[in-house]
Amino acid sequence: MSAHTVGRIVSYVVLVLIGLVALAPFVFLLIISFKSRIDVLEVPPSLHFSTAQIRENYSQVINDKGFLTFIKNSVIVTGVATLIALGLGIPAGYAFSRLKFRASGHWASTILSFRFMPPVAVAIPIYLMIRDLGLVNSYLGLILPYVAFSLPLVVWIMIGFFDEIPREIDDAALVDGCSRASALFRVLLPLARPGMMVAATFGVIFIWNEFLVGLYIVNSSSRETIPIAASALLTVESPIDWNLAAATGILTVIPVLLFSLFVQRYIVRGITAGAVR
Amino acid sequence: MQRRGEVLLLLGPCVLYLVAFSVYPLVTSLFRSFEDYNSQQNTWRWIGLGNYRQLFSDTEFWHTVEHTAFLTFGGVALQVVLGTALALFFNQRLRGATLVRGLVILPMLLTPVVVGLMWRALLNPDWGMLNWLATQVGFHNVQWLTDPSMALRTLILVDTWQWTPFVFVVVFARLQALPVDVFEAGEVDGATWFKRLRYLTLPLLMPAIAFAAIFRGIDAFRTFDLVYGLTNGGPVRSTSTLSFQAFQNGFQYFHYGYASAIAYVMVIVAIVGVTVMLRFVRVRREDI
Repeated sequence: MSAHTVGRIVSYVVLVLIGLVALAPFVFLLIISFKSRIDVLEVPPSLHFSTAQIRENYSQVINDKGFLTFIKNSVIVTGVATLIALGLGIPAGYAFSRLKFRASGHWASTILSFRFMPPVAVAIPIYLMIRDLGLVNSYLGLILPYVAFSLPLVVWIMIGFFDEIPREIDDAALVDGCSRASALFRVLLPLARPGMMVAATFGVIFIWNEFLVGLYIVNSSSRETIPIAASALLTVESPIDWNLAAATGILTVIPVLLFSLFVQRYIVRGITAGAVR
Repeated sequence: MQRRGEVLLLLGPCVLYLVAFSVYPLVTSLFRSFEDYNSQQNTWRWIGLGNYRQLFSDTEFWHTVEHTAFLTFGGVALQVVLGTALALFFNQRLRGATLVRGLVILPMLLTPVVVGLMWRALLNPDWGMLNWLATQVGFHNVQWLTDPSMALRTLILVDTWQWTPFVFVVVFARLQALPVDVFEAGEVDGATWFKRLRYLTLPLLMPAIAFAAIFRGIDAFRTFDLVYGLTNGGPVRSTSTLSFQAFQNGFQYFHYGYASAIAYVMVIVAIVGVTVMLRFVRVRREDI
């Protein structure tokens, strides 16, 4: 065998190992989620599964613990908050990209830096605000702060994408008698669609996973989002029923997995534009 | 004048929103950090620098600073090395690599709390898969999460599993964008693989690596969710981070003022980090 062939083989072994490291935790979780509470303790886990047990575990999580409600809550909160963030962030990104005004670069950096503020620094005042507004345990109580958390990211991503569109295009639209607003909506937005997808993707990931601020705004399971519900599972019920915890974990992973299949190229573009979480 | 109207119209709503839900809470926190909260009477009392004075003389706070620094510098250094290595590895275009690349990205999309849950199962001392593997290859049972001297390292391990992909994606994108002919010239000149890496590839990748490291560093500095899900700060507070300590003081002990002081120390550090990072980020095309 030539050195080249050996090198290739080593490379493929490494490739498989990398894949295993990334995937193994999910597989283990999946196996645990198929077991009865006692069988979880078996080392190494046997790979004989009973369909009845699987159905039992998942139906407990879905029906008895109301997992579908958590999904519904997450979808509503994430969807609405992301749309509002886009609605506010796209015009702002456009303004930063196209209009010259005093210290605009400075303003943009300031907005951007909110992306990096420690959430604990605002968690308490936001909680008190939401409480005073009477919005505890409501969707709006979660949506209002989540928009603010994802907004800097949306602005940041949109500036980048608007910058990539040649200025001549909106100049032409303006000469043709469009107002700024209609130039933005009719001409530029269709061109900036990939940017909007990237911004939306990251808004969704961020809001879907947010948990520190939501934890105290919501305290009834009828409004809990998935991360909040998952955390309740960890702390409230001790000892943990690991088979059910694992089933919950798997059910939270599935939406993320499906989502990532559809938006993978946007994720890569977004991260390289400097955005994640 | 019309210009100004346009700016206000496009930017106003966004700025107002951030003022209401980011700036206002942030400023409130600053004031609260100079006050003492009485949870029985729901009253605030101005105590000046009292919270900060108490904080800086609290050994527990300094331990937390140490943990946070270890997580931020140690964890991110590990992730940068692994992520860069991954990027170089995937650059050789193996068959099936695209699929594996998709898998590699998955961890960083997951809810950190769920990642914590998942790894608590994997690391369980009695039936976890990792200890089973360790004993198979001749190690002793490792007390991943129950040994105070081990738990922080375990936290870094899990954080690295989740966030190495981030460094990978950033560095890999840069690597793909590099001009190929530079490398071909290096190869023609007879430079060894290592020399090309040392004098050609790494210097060209440096901006991306630095960006990924600082970005990741600021995020690691704020780590909360993973601590909450994986260790809840324990055992004996050995994995408590600044975020977690602020959270506990605020939401569990109702020491709002004290919690705000911890949070504000974090804000100051974050501002420094962001300022450094912004040197590596192009906010607007005109800025370069």
